[in-house]
Amino acid sequence: MGQFIQLVVDGLSNGSIYAVLALAIVLVNQATGMINFAQGGMAVLSAYVTWRLVEAGLPLIVAILLAVLASFIVGGLLERFLMRRFERGDPDTAVVVTIGLLTLITGVCGWLWTYNNQQFPSLFPLHTVRIFGAAVSVRSIGTFLAIVAIMLVVQALFLGTKLGLALRAVAINPESAAFSGLPVGRLLMAGWGLAAALGAVAGALVAPQLTLTPGMMDTALVYALAAVILGGLSSPVGVVCAAWLIGVLENLAAVYVHFIGYDLKVAVPFILIFVVLIVRPQGLFGRKVVVRV
Amino acid sequence: MSLATGLLSRAWVRWAITAVVVVVLFVLPLQLDEYTNQNLARIGVFAVAVLGLNVVMGYTGQVSLGQIFFVGAGAYVTGYGASHDWNIVLVFVASVLVPGVIGLLVALAAARLGGLAIAMVTIALPIVGVPFAKRLSDFTGGSQGMSSAFSNAPGWTGLYNDQWQLYIVLVVGGAVFLLIRNLVRGKYGRAFAIVKDNEAVAASMGISPYRYKVLAFTVASLIGGASGFLYMAVIQFTSPETMSFGHSITLLASMVIGGAASILGSLLGGAYYVLVPQWSNDIDPNLTELLQGALLLLTLLLLPGGLATLPRVLARTLRRTRTPDPSERRQTPSAPPAPGRASVEETPTVGGIPAQSPTERQEQA
Amino acid sequence: MKRKKNVRLTGAIALISAVAVSLTGCGGRDDDSSGGARGASTGITDTTVTLGVTTPLSGATAGPGTCTVAGLKAYFGAVNAKGGVKFGDGKTRKVEIKAQDDAYDPQKAKSNYDQLKGSVFAMTSGLGTPTNRAYREAAIADKVPQVLVMTGDPIFSDTKESPEQLGFVPTYVNEGEAFGKLLAASGQDHKVAILSQNDDYGQGYVEGFKKGVEGASNISIVKELTYEATDTSVDAQITQLAGTHADVVFNAMSITPLAIASLQKAQQLNWKPSWFLPSNTSSPKAILEPGKAMAYPGVYSVSFAKAPQSPAFAGDEDVKTFLSDLKQYADYPDMPAFPHCMWSYMVGATLDQAFQKMKEPTREGFMKSLRDIKDFTAPLMLEGTSVDTTVDGQPAVSSVVVQKYNGTGYATVENFG
Repeated sequence: MGQFIQLVVDGLSNGSIYAVLALAIVLVNQATGMINFAQGGMAVLSAYVTWRLVEAGLPLIVAILLAVLASFIVGGLLERFLMRRFERGDPDTAVVVTIGLLTLITGVCGWLWTYNNQQFPSLFPLHTVRIFGAAVSVRSIGTFLAIVAIMLVVQALFLGTKLGLALRAVAINPESAAFSGLPVGRLLMAGWGLAAALGAVAGALVAPQLTLTPGMMDTALVYALAAVILGGLSSPVGVVCAAWLIGVLENLAAVYVHFIGYDLKVAVPFILIFVVLIVRPQGLFGRKVVVRV
Repeated sequence: MSLATGLLSRAWVRWAITAVVVVVLFVLPLQLDEYTNQNLARIGVFAVAVLGLNVVMGYTGQVSLGQIFFVGAGAYVTGYGASHDWNIVLVFVASVLVPGVIGLLVALAAARLGGLAIAMVTIALPIVGVPFAKRLSDFTGGSQGMSSAFSNAPGWTGLYNDQWQLYIVLVVGGAVFLLIRNLVRGKYGRAFAIVKDNEAVAASMGISPYRYKVLAFTVASLIGGASGFLYMAVIQFTSPETMSFGHSITLLASMVIGGAASILGSLLGGAYYVLVPQWSNDIDPNLTELLQGALLLLTLLLLPGGLATLPRVLARTLRRTRTPDPSERRQTPSAPPAPGRASVEETPTVGGIPAQSPTERQEQA
Repeated sequence: MKRKKNVRLTGAIALISAVAVSLTGCGGRDDDSSGGARGASTGITDTTVTLGVTTPLSGATAGPGTCTVAGLKAYFGAVNAKGGVKFGDGKTRKVEIKAQDDAYDPQKAKSNYDQLKGSVFAMTSGLGTPTNRAYREAAIADKVPQVLVMTGDPIFSDTKESPEQLGFVPTYVNEGEAFGKLLAASGQDHKVAILSQNDDYGQGYVEGFKKGVEGASNISIVKELTYEATDTSVDAQITQLAGTHADVVFNAMSITPLAIASLQKAQQLNWKPSWFLPSNTSSPKAILEPGKAMAYPGVYSVSFAKAPQSPAFAGDEDVKTFLSDLKQYADYPDMPAFPHCMWSYMVGATLDQAFQKMKEPTREGFMKSLRDIKDFTAPLMLEGTSVDTTVDGQPAVSSVVVQKYNGTGYATVENFG
């Protein structure tokens, strides 16, 4: 029993890593209608900026805030000067542009800061506390709570604010959004900027555990995408819950399902997606959409 | 230009050109140096893989991130068969059929799902494929991989290995390209295009989107298997790394860079896959990732429809610079934003973007 | 419409073919591709010799991959600055290095080899089992030496299987066995938990360890788990292993962040066994310090290279020269994060030995003299280890010493505990 609880707690802590990246992906998708493969890469770049600022002597929290600000600006500029040219075009091309961006950013990080692992300071201490007999680090709890907070903010942004409604309106139908007087261009920039800013927080949260390398987010990206599809693209709460579910089930399957084991546990999120989507095509928490012809 | 086109439209001229091409392709491997032959063969391997991806993605509009899995599976079957001294024809058939059957089974389930969910189910193939290949180490040689020299030139030919391998690629790859070219230009191609454009319209026309998605996906995995056969013939080694997820992403990028829904684009995509890492290595081996990313973005900024649209874009630019006619200028923005579609214009215009994006976006809302 | 399309495609193919033919010009194949000195092999002239490396310089293994080039460049950069290597045939040659990135992709490694083999004398120092295996058979067929490569895969040291090859680093089996023997000789009862990477790397270590403890009644292996090199976390494995209350962990892990996370996780679970880590993930600064390794009764590793981070070697002449060469000639200003930097530096020194002894500038001559190096202590080698290329079935370095972490660096130990 002790082991079971510990595995669940470990799974939640892993799931949090996937969740924070998944939130950024959802944000960009809801604001611009595309899937950004470079989201993880951008988060890594922000984390490097944070790390450099800390090395330069700034306190960690100040460094993170500066990186968040810088990421917001860079995200907006990327949308305006790169993605804008592909937004109305073939969606496949747009996806490949984000892949190109991911490659470029990874290359730039490797070039500027080498491919070696860098130690990234943590916002939270590594002390251990006991919950229901399971050992949990304060860092994991801190990350967990931070994600819940971000999730609620994103959810509130989309459902409860004018900005969120405008962002979604632009993503759903830019033409009619423009007709109704919304500043479509600026809203698209804001969507990318916000997602990049969120990515900067994500980077700072997970870098202490994964250690900073240019490819730090590569595996997490796959899990995050799985969580996004599983949770439903339109629901921040949904993707975070899906990420936790994936983290927990993955651990339990590895330990208790003999056929899966540690080598095939990566199949768990995909089996989950498969089963869930056959029953609920819109994802666990997504809204059902009526497609007009 | 018009004179050349006029001349080319005569039947005998085309036959003559075809004959010349065949002769040239036959003579070429004998004339080129070893490294060039090897590179051409490698390009052929990945051109076939990209072609398969094009069938399901470029022509039918279903995002597939798993193409490299079928290449890897085909390579493993080839390696296994060759090391057990199967007949070469049997090896080839098995290397195509095994991935094809896996593809069919996956497609039967995946095609029920909509857009992005298909992407996630296909992403799973290489990601689960790598540890699975390690687990089946009795067949696959585990993480140390398997070698196979079945494609070395037989003594009676008097050829070098690289020449023989290039011939294998030309024959198999050429056959696959011809078959697929006919497929996408015929009845099936039109059905694929309608499914890609609008599934509801397809259904109302009596074209089952489900059935055609499954068909496209299965064809793509069969071609992936053929590409895997060629991979083993040219590289002569495979390991779980072969089907790592990153290569699947690169294949996808190569398809778009070459030109989606284009036969010529598939060929160019294969060249992109092979040559760009080499070029970036020649410039600076420590900056390969940076250079590859920059080149990818640059290419798409200049040619959003892929390399296959280069002649058309050049022609348009030339026309524009020659006749600075304001009326033509004004027209350009309203031109279709993705000239890459041009190469399938004989099919009812596919992926006319304005028609597609509203439905796409609503699904995600 | 359809017809017009066909025309365009056929036209395009014809055009491409015509261009291709005219570009290649006159054909025919020149078998004798040697350049430079008479009777000499490819890649060697009277004044230079060129070495080829294909290794991951981008992607997940780029960190150690970069090191496999940096050490080599550092060594020969310094040698070239002093004039070059005096070869056994009396000529002094400068050593040039052509390194290419394969991103740990076997296909790219083969492609790099195909490109390099026309201009290099030998392939060397590249990292990775599948990437080295991808061109092993081609190198044998072409008679291109593929020597002192960075993989513990034993096939590269089997002269019959691999006549043109020689591994450099100890096989994974060697390393695992060394620790197994030390543990078996402790005389006390030990319960061992094993966590290994699910590939030939992890399997080799485990196989060696089991060989080392074979027949020792005081050792019992209580649990064996694996992880994938691409995993982001091994928390679940550590949790499961902690449940066994084993007093020794044999951790065959090659991924830096996972090694740190394992050390941290076990402490959180209040499980404090003695710990074994392989040579490439035992860096005091990069792994043990952030992993707070002093919390454990002992962290052991095997090594044959001096760790430059260790204060014990701060004043060491070898280490000082090595670090300055690395900075000056390899554009690697930081303290090496991976031991591969030291290893490739030793590869350079070993090649230097072979060059000095080879009587004729041919690949055959080189292989012969390379296989004839004994009791050579390359710079940075620890006491008790040496380069010996004369033993069939063993890589150039097969002797390792077991070391124990002392809070800042390592000290060689004879006994466990």
